[in-house]
Amino acid sequence: MIAFRSPEGMDARTTGAEEWRTRFEDRAPFLVACALLMVLMAVYGSLRKNVFALEELNLDTAAAMTLLLAATGQTIVLLRGGIDLSIGGMISLGTVLAATHFGNNPARATFWTLSIVMIGLIVGMINGLMVAVLKLQPFLVTLATWSILSGAALLVLPTDGGSFPAGWMRFGGASWLGLSSSVWLLVALVLFWLWFRKTPLAVAIRATGSNERSAYLSGVSLVFINVATYGLSGIFAALASLYLTTQTGTGSPTIGKDYILPSVAAAVIGGVSLFGGRGGLLGTIVGAFIITVIGNLVFVLSVSSYWQPIASGVILLVAVLASSIAEKSARRNLV
Amino acid sequence: MELISATGVTKHYGGITALSNGAFQGHSGEVHALLGENGAGKSTFIQILAGTVQPDAGVIVVKEAPFSVGKPSEAQAIGISAVFQELSLIPDLTVEENIWFRHEPLSPFRTVKVGAMRKATLDLFQRYQFPSLPLGREVRRLSLLEQQIVEIAKALSHNPSILILDEATSSLGLQETQWLLSLARRLAESGRLVIFISHRLGEVRQIADRVTIFRNGSTVSVYDTPKIDDETIMADMLGRRMDRLYPERIPAKTSTVALGVRELALDHRLMDVNLDLYEGEVLGIAGLHGHGQRDLFHSLFGMGRARGSIKLWGRFITLRNPRDVLTGSGGIALVPEDRRNHGLLLTKSVRENLTLSAISRFSRFGLTDATREAALVKEMIESLNIKAVPEQPVGTLSGGNQQKVIFGKMLLTEARVLLLYDPTRGIDVGTKGEIFQLMRNLSKKGYAILFFSSDIVELIHVADRIAVFRGGRVVKVLEGEGINERDVLRAMIEKEAV
Amino acid sequence: MKDNFGTHRGILVAYLATITLLLFTSLVSTGFLAGAHLRSMALLAAFIGIVALGQTFVIIGGGIDLSVPWVLNGAAVFVTLFAHGHNEPLLWAVPLLLVAGALVGMINGLGIEAAGVPPIIMTLAVNVILQGGILICTGGAPTAAAPTALQFLAVGRVGGIPVVLVIWAVLAVTATILLSKTTFGRYLYALGANATVAKYSGVPTLRTVVLSYTLSGFTAALVGMLLTGYSGQAYLGMGDPYLFTSIAAVAIGGTSIMGGSGHYIGTIAGAFLLTILTALLPALNLSSGALQIVYGIVILVTVSLASEAAPKLLFWRRPLSQN
Repeated sequence: MIAFRSPEGMDARTTGAEEWRTRFEDRAPFLVACALLMVLMAVYGSLRKNVFALEELNLDTAAAMTLLLAATGQTIVLLRGGIDLSIGGMISLGTVLAATHFGNNPARATFWTLSIVMIGLIVGMINGLMVAVLKLQPFLVTLATWSILSGAALLVLPTDGGSFPAGWMRFGGASWLGLSSSVWLLVALVLFWLWFRKTPLAVAIRATGSNERSAYLSGVSLVFINVATYGLSGIFAALASLYLTTQTGTGSPTIGKDYILPSVAAAVIGGVSLFGGRGGLLGTIVGAFIITVIGNLVFVLSVSSYWQPIASGVILLVAVLASSIAEKSARRNLV
Repeated sequence: MELISATGVTKHYGGITALSNGAFQGHSGEVHALLGENGAGKSTFIQILAGTVQPDAGVIVVKEAPFSVGKPSEAQAIGISAVFQELSLIPDLTVEENIWFRHEPLSPFRTVKVGAMRKATLDLFQRYQFPSLPLGREVRRLSLLEQQIVEIAKALSHNPSILILDEATSSLGLQETQWLLSLARRLAESGRLVIFISHRLGEVRQIADRVTIFRNGSTVSVYDTPKIDDETIMADMLGRRMDRLYPERIPAKTSTVALGVRELALDHRLMDVNLDLYEGEVLGIAGLHGHGQRDLFHSLFGMGRARGSIKLWGRFITLRNPRDVLTGSGGIALVPEDRRNHGLLLTKSVRENLTLSAISRFSRFGLTDATREAALVKEMIESLNIKAVPEQPVGTLSGGNQQKVIFGKMLLTEARVLLLYDPTRGIDVGTKGEIFQLMRNLSKKGYAILFFSSDIVELIHVADRIAVFRGGRVVKVLEGEGINERDVLRAMIEKEAV
Repeated sequence: MKDNFGTHRGILVAYLATITLLLFTSLVSTGFLAGAHLRSMALLAAFIGIVALGQTFVIIGGGIDLSVPWVLNGAAVFVTLFAHGHNEPLLWAVPLLLVAGALVGMINGLGIEAAGVPPIIMTLAVNVILQGGILICTGGAPTAAAPTALQFLAVGRVGGIPVVLVIWAVLAVTATILLSKTTFGRYLYALGANATVAKYSGVPTLRTVVLSYTLSGFTAALVGMLLTGYSGQAYLGMGDPYLFTSIAAVAIGGTSIMGGSGHYIGTIAGAFLLTILTALLPALNLSSGALQIVYGIVILVTVSLASEAAPKLLFWRRPLSQN
């Protein structure tokens, strides 16, 4: 029997410098996104006065919030390794239901607010069930439910319209301590994430996205995880639709589809991996702001608004290329 | 105290009977080995114990209570933990997160306490004298060997009274294997039951108190290890006397250099490697894990970024891509380390897998000829004795047959330089013998074979020469009839074997 | 993760569903099976079918092409811009735009395989960039009317058979041969099944991926121009519905979204199924909202039927394939 001896036989590659470099490579997409946002803000700031004032923060956050809420749900789904296209339908449905049912009665508005969130949750749970039990691909399942929800939205309200009580609309402009309601929402969102990501559920979601089979072997209930993941996404899509109505004051059966791919883009720009298991909401928040600021820039530069999608597209590619290069160099150390 | 008592355990998969009469008795304080070929039922049996599979019939009693679990977590709850060869680790989670996954220490807010987790991990490592591991690192950045160790830690973190080790040593290097074996003994001595599955009889002899042998879905015998010899064990496993595991070694080496490697270097992993592989020889590669062998094989197959010069059949070649070497009869073919993830398309048929690297042999102007393909496939299946039909999905084959498909795939390319990386890992004895015979036959036909195995005994019996790797270099080349294990070991670790 | 058996079952289900639906609608609405009606449905199915051809290849290879809408729209817009209502410019405009579409596809393929950008992101970004670019070029306004030759191509007939159907038939045969009988097809399936193994096995991954996306760009551009002929002019947004329908046709046809299995023959059924569904609109007096709901349900049902058993068979099958 051979006396056991330490590290010679093992890969003793761990030097302090290496450790820091791998940490950096991991965070690279997020850091790139932050840098990008700062650059954009600087450019924006040079074109407009008072960009770094509180008022601007309030406005930008309000503009970004709908996308942000949608992207939050999408982030969770992406971490699970799936994708949720049905939020497009849910957002549309949420706005039209609110627009046609809120009336002028606070009690009714409250009831319907809760109902819309419930609908989001239930539809999401159904998505999750179909993915887990029927073993269907998330892309397909949510594509189909998107179609169904969009259709439902059209049935409820064929064209843009509807009305909202005055009180509801005031929420959008309300402020407390100088910060608008949307900024407080952002704070709440960040606090939620800081707590949520450390819960066993979040760890399990990331784990399942990282390697579904290992997660199952380790005792994770795939049904539960999928139901929870897509259920959460549905809830956030519902919240996004509700927030949207406070900004626009109308219900629209087609507005939702404009949020699907940007919600994925915001997350990806922020460093969430499309394959699951990696990334977080903080990156998505940066990504959502990047997209919003680009929109502002396009407006301020008085160029055709058609430049916005181009800019977003290019930024998206750059962000992904950067993280792909970082990932490839990280993987080189392993073979 | 008797911990497990099982009789008549049965399991069917569609028309296939995996287990028809499984029986087993294990008590506390012993290391009990399970032996048998792949498909003999032992794997199914322990999967039943571990909760990943439900039996169709049978009586199992664990710790004097009837045993019936629906999933792995339930098995864990009654004290059974398993380490399978197929790892259950989460790549993007860190070492600690993986070990404590699903039973992390929680704070009152239901969040994971990172500090407590780290401390618990260190305690665990110290208690069982684990080799050192970079804790905060994500598991996907670890080598296969390190990952296997994390898997073991994960099983131990549940403090099991019954620990199942299924081929747990096959991914480990020499030192780590010894550590695990002595760990198994210590666990047994502290009152637990360790169920140990391995194809390496040497290891079984080293630590197992008793062996239970499975064949064709039933338990055929139980022995006290010291009282039984290897031939009987193998006879019970195979149902016949096996003349020899290792074929006769007829030297066939010519003076033509098939593969000449000069000054091959890659970061710190390969340093100035010089090697000559001759036509007609089997050149064995030995070395502790992580000392450069894997990088050597990958570089030779075009998958690394090594510098240096390589001559293939006398002509210089540049290697950037497997496509550079998979060039037909003048090329190189590889049997990779990880057959399930690198070698086979599990959802595709045997035929499609066999022909994947050699499509040009039955196609012209881009169009494929199904008749010629079928003929080639039939020939390969017959000559390698692959127990499958051509259209069968490869994922349903046993490990041994899957490996044969990979060999067939390699042989169809007509490449005469073959790189075999641990080809017999996790393969049953019967198929191993066939593979060794195949290797010697091929060398007689003029093939040049580079052969790495973590089993030194195999190398000694099958290879003509052995090149020992240490620290990214070839430190010694041994040849001649008199090579023994000690010489190889000494060259590998530079310290006298005890 | 479907084996060959699963593929055949998927295609079978697709054709059965199509035929069932056809019979159902013909019962519900008279004149549904009339010659002229069938011909116009076949035409519409052809448009979906041709776009879905490229999508089929891309999906089998393990990717997806989200740039279809604006490649289609781009070709449509530019062909009218170049032609200005005359037929002669078509001689160079049509081939030019087909090449342009193929080029966009090639860029997609390079970005995905050479630069490592995930397909969803690459094709999405390209789509969005094309959209912006085209909108800027046209200023958002509709363009000239389609030249008569193009219109003939779209609605005219040759020996009683619509030209478009002939084109579709030729493309379908080519696609079938490519998938079943060529090395390219083999490589594509291998790539979709497991890209790493494909690489280890010497499959020319870059070439294969680029070729599949190039094909997709080509078919999208082709349909863009045919559609322009069909409706008489190009309008902005005409490509959008084709993203959903091309993917749905592929999925309904039994091809796994993950890649590695499936066949264009199934996609053809999918294209017909979707067309019949759309034709239900006026036939059953359904509003577009209700139609979308029906779309979604049909997709779910056909995909569920085709996918149930196979994943269970292979995914949980541990013991016999231990190693």
